[in-house]
Amino acid sequence: MTPTKRPPMQRRIFLKGVAGACLAAPFLSSVHEQWAKAQSVPATPPKRLVIFYTHNGTLTTRWFPSKEDGALAASDLTGTYLEPLSPYVNKLLLPRGFRSMNSYAVGQSIDPHDQACGSKLTCAYISTESNRYATAESLDHTIAKQINPGDKTPLVLSVGAPSTLIKEVISFSAPNTAFPSNVNPSSVYKLLTGVVMQGGSTGGSTGGTSMTPADYHVARGKSAIDLVTDDLQTYKRLNMSKADQDRIDAWLSLLRDTETGMTDPAMQAVCNAATQATLGITDAAVTAASPTGSITAGNVLGPKGTADGDANLATSFTKGGDMMMNLMALAMTCDVNRTFVFLYPGYVIYKWDGLMMTKEHHGLSHRTGDFTVGGNCYAGVIDMIAQIDTWLAGKFTRLVQTFDSMPEGDGTLLDNTATMWLPELSDGAAHNLNNLPILIAGSCGGYLKTGAAVNVEGKTIGKGNSESSCQNGGTIGNTGSSGGNQPINKLYVTLMNAVGCKAADGGPVTTFGVFDGNKDTDGIKNPGEVMALKAS
Amino acid sequence: MAMWRSAVFVAAAFGVGCTADIQSPPAGMGASGNATPGSGAGTNTGSGAGSSVGGGATSASGGNGSGSGGTSSPGSGGSSGGTTPGAGGSSSGGTGMLNPNCTPQIEATSQIPRLLNAQYDRTIRDLLGVTNLTAANGVVPSTLLATDLTSGMTDLAWANYKDVADKIATQVFADPKLTANFIKCTPAAGDTTCLHQTIIDFGRLAFRRPLTTDEVARFDKVIAAGATITPTGAPMEVAQALLYMFLISPTFIQRAETTAVSDGAGHFTLSSAEIAQRLSYMLWGTTPDAALNQAADQNMLQTPQQIAAQAARMLQDPKARDMVSAFHQHYLLMDSESHWATANRDPATFPNWNPAVVGPIDDETLKFFDAITFTAGSTFKDFLTSPIAFVNKDTAPLYGLDGSKYGADLTEVSLDATQRPGFLTRLGFLMNFASLTRTNPIYRGAFISKQILGIDIPAPPAGATQTALPDSPDLDTNRKQVDAQTSGDSCKSCHHGYINPPGFAMEAFDAMGAWRTTESNGVPLDTTADITVVDGQPTVHVNGPADLMAAIASSPGALQQYVKQWVGYAYQRPGDAADQCDVAQLSAKMAGGNYAILNLIADLTQTQSFRLREVSP
Repeated sequence: MTPTKRPPMQRRIFLKGVAGACLAAPFLSSVHEQWAKAQSVPATPPKRLVIFYTHNGTLTTRWFPSKEDGALAASDLTGTYLEPLSPYVNKLLLPRGFRSMNSYAVGQSIDPHDQACGSKLTCAYISTESNRYATAESLDHTIAKQINPGDKTPLVLSVGAPSTLIKEVISFSAPNTAFPSNVNPSSVYKLLTGVVMQGGSTGGSTGGTSMTPADYHVARGKSAIDLVTDDLQTYKRLNMSKADQDRIDAWLSLLRDTETGMTDPAMQAVCNAATQATLGITDAAVTAASPTGSITAGNVLGPKGTADGDANLATSFTKGGDMMMNLMALAMTCDVNRTFVFLYPGYVIYKWDGLMMTKEHHGLSHRTGDFTVGGNCYAGVIDMIAQIDTWLAGKFTRLVQTFDSMPEGDGTLLDNTATMWLPELSDGAAHNLNNLPILIAGSCGGYLKTGAAVNVEGKTIGKGNSESSCQNGGTIGNTGSSGGNQPINKLYVTLMNAVGCKAADGGPVTTFGVFDGNKDTDGIKNPGEVMALKAS
Repeated sequence: MAMWRSAVFVAAAFGVGCTADIQSPPAGMGASGNATPGSGAGTNTGSGAGSSVGGGATSASGGNGSGSGGTSSPGSGGSSGGTTPGAGGSSSGGTGMLNPNCTPQIEATSQIPRLLNAQYDRTIRDLLGVTNLTAANGVVPSTLLATDLTSGMTDLAWANYKDVADKIATQVFADPKLTANFIKCTPAAGDTTCLHQTIIDFGRLAFRRPLTTDEVARFDKVIAAGATITPTGAPMEVAQALLYMFLISPTFIQRAETTAVSDGAGHFTLSSAEIAQRLSYMLWGTTPDAALNQAADQNMLQTPQQIAAQAARMLQDPKARDMVSAFHQHYLLMDSESHWATANRDPATFPNWNPAVVGPIDDETLKFFDAITFTAGSTFKDFLTSPIAFVNKDTAPLYGLDGSKYGADLTEVSLDATQRPGFLTRLGFLMNFASLTRTNPIYRGAFISKQILGIDIPAPPAGATQTALPDSPDLDTNRKQVDAQTSGDSCKSCHHGYINPPGFAMEAFDAMGAWRTTESNGVPLDTTADITVVDGQPTVHVNGPADLMAAIASSPGALQQYVKQWVGYAYQRPGDAADQCDVAQLSAKMAGGNYAILNLIADLTQTQSFRLREVSP
């Protein structure tokens, strides 16, 4: 099965003719109605996907618990990077044995990081053009088109500097079309302040029926919609390319969606200033978490920072990232979005929270301290990698904590969501994509098994060889893993079904991506979800 | 550094004409453990690990018209220019050289590209005088906008356009000096004349063309609604609302090209206002100025001559210098993941290492390009031959000058032209393209061959970069070591044929950029080399850096590479197949001699592709 390659807004046409992949439920109501529904508290809490993405692999030997299959207890996490997640062990699913697509020199031979990022959520090749973008739409967009309120695109966020480079982009709204992350908490906050109830009225420049009629902001907002709509309509009448027309349509639909405000009292009861305060989202906190200027960008060869840029980078990785988590929780509570991607880019020097690195993360992951691969071990490198890995595990733990602290329905936000830690690579020096350390928190509304490790390969995989060298200097050996080669497509299919995606025929989704073997020409040979990952 | 840093530009820096990047991390040992094929551990089950050793080039093709190899993907607008029928990019004999005997093509591009964030900031600066948002920690406006993206508008991006517009409008009306940039008259209560005139006057600037009657009426409605959409309905409050409305208008946020006047040959002729917009965003990265607007209003931007006259004027403006500097950052890969700004030496090996030089040596490189470009009549050759340099107290000693004679700022000096011709003999290149303890002929040679000569060298095969530098008594120079290191079957053809020779010629400079004649162990250097200047043509023998620079300066491949980078950068579509004929013809013009860099930039406005729009598919 080949992937569904299509521009946005084509869905209804597409639905009628193609079968097989993940498609929207047939005959969606209008965008406006969708949004109106979204503003109401659904009868059952919405299901969501959150992808927490980290770069440069990990010391797999310290990441994986020994237990590969069966029920997980807190004690199984002891001594691993996952130990801080012990309080949540009953809500964790540890799928073992997946490989993401396009291993270097097996699929393409362009660049292992570019291939890992571009193919990660697309299961497709990357372009040989200079931008090296993915040649297919990514999972987050495929899912968002089906489950997001109001046809919204996924909320793709990151810490660090804004970037459109393939090494920092994993989301693609269409083939060869990067969907870069947003890095500024103030920007995300602004999106939400138009929605959240603020003591009797929604904030920002929009309002609903319960707003004060005299609020000139409301009137100005409506006046603006009229003006912008008229402007866009003049473009719509032109004979433009399909891509350009789609861009106009996307904008028009946003005007209908985002300007109407929230009217459902039940939603107002949860999506309000009190919830915002609970999450620590205040003007001052958001400002403190936002950059005051440029942010030092990462670089394969080492960041080129300024003092201000470095300070903003540190803020972004600490307060900024934490605020992004809070904002995601608020966006979930207000049902602004159901599909999230959150990245921690990999080409930065960790100099915050007591970490005192002198080399950037990518170089450390190579064990050499720079971009070269192989050769002599950089002194103390294992410990340095472990410090960064531990820090990142702490961030995933905080994300889980945040979601689990917010009640929803009979459980918490976490329970109704699949919150997945997905790595770029397994081991950073080996650049291998097999035996990926993946962790999913939350059952996604009861769909996924929890409190368990599930080995999907059917034989012992092991923890890899990340510490086979460089314990005491010496030269770098093979730090990869053997085994763990089940195609990640099947995990994605399982997640798509978990969040409620449907195939064209209304049945469960069975395939995702362009290929699930070694080459893109292989196509999908192993369709279906992974039953063993589902709650029984 | 950030000028015009867009998705397109940044991405392009990686690979136009040289798909195999020299910077990015090479193949891991084992993307699936294939450093030791068949060794078992680390091998992906069923993945065919190791099978591609030596074959890493396959997917990295598609550079600069490499013979008959790189076919272009229809409609992809990609980097594999060169063989699109009719595009004139067909190369001859596998040399990578384009044939100027071709028919120029016009790429179909979006009619409504959004302003890139950097363009947005400069546009706001030039329209309203606002550079930093006082309501947001003083950041530049685009800090609050979504990261540049080419797909449709998103809820997040739209929320932020509105937020930034609100902040800008508030700031403009809090400061009478800024307010005057928007409204030139003083509106009296109840009198709409001034506000109406502001719609017409500021609208002309914001929309980069005169407003239509419908558009004026649309904004007049805002005036009419003034009392309900502002706190008190006071005229200045209504004016602020008008500014907000302009700043969130799609016609302001997008650089639209909507004129549909046929040129009689299957294309549309852009209006003068659209040409003005292309000129200003290409040469300045910002909105048209008064002179351009006037020329547009008089429909005086239709002929190549009219456009050339404006381009010549615009290149004299400081805003053009910013653009030219941003281009050279792109050309040198400074705006991407590259060796620049990473100079770092082991103080044990180099006691005179001083981290304070890292910034200035890159700045010097850009100042060098700026000085050459804007010196009347300077040509591409001068980049490779000029003895001028820029030093400060820290960098001067590295050139053998007395540091005490210089301050912290860079000062122009003239160096010995026999040792220091051109930018590749400046500290920036020499020090950044070196290793911690030694020179790195591979870094230097790969950069020269790929990025400067434009030779399409594939990515190294998996595992190749892990080849250790051999060390034995007979290998008593860095050159001999590197030569031995790269003698393996999978390395040799690229390294011995293309990469190493220019690197060896540059061994005359040590890792601190100092001139030398012997290795640190006293063994005399060998800086002779046979350089492949154009792929497939006889090599050129050089005795050292000066010969090498002369060879590059007269290389048609280097000229073509420079032009190709310019075309891709200026048109915001690096490597586009349809543009390759323009590359070929501009390169031919440049090879004719005495063709100033400024002429090349101006001639980028003289192509059909600049003047016409392809009918949308």
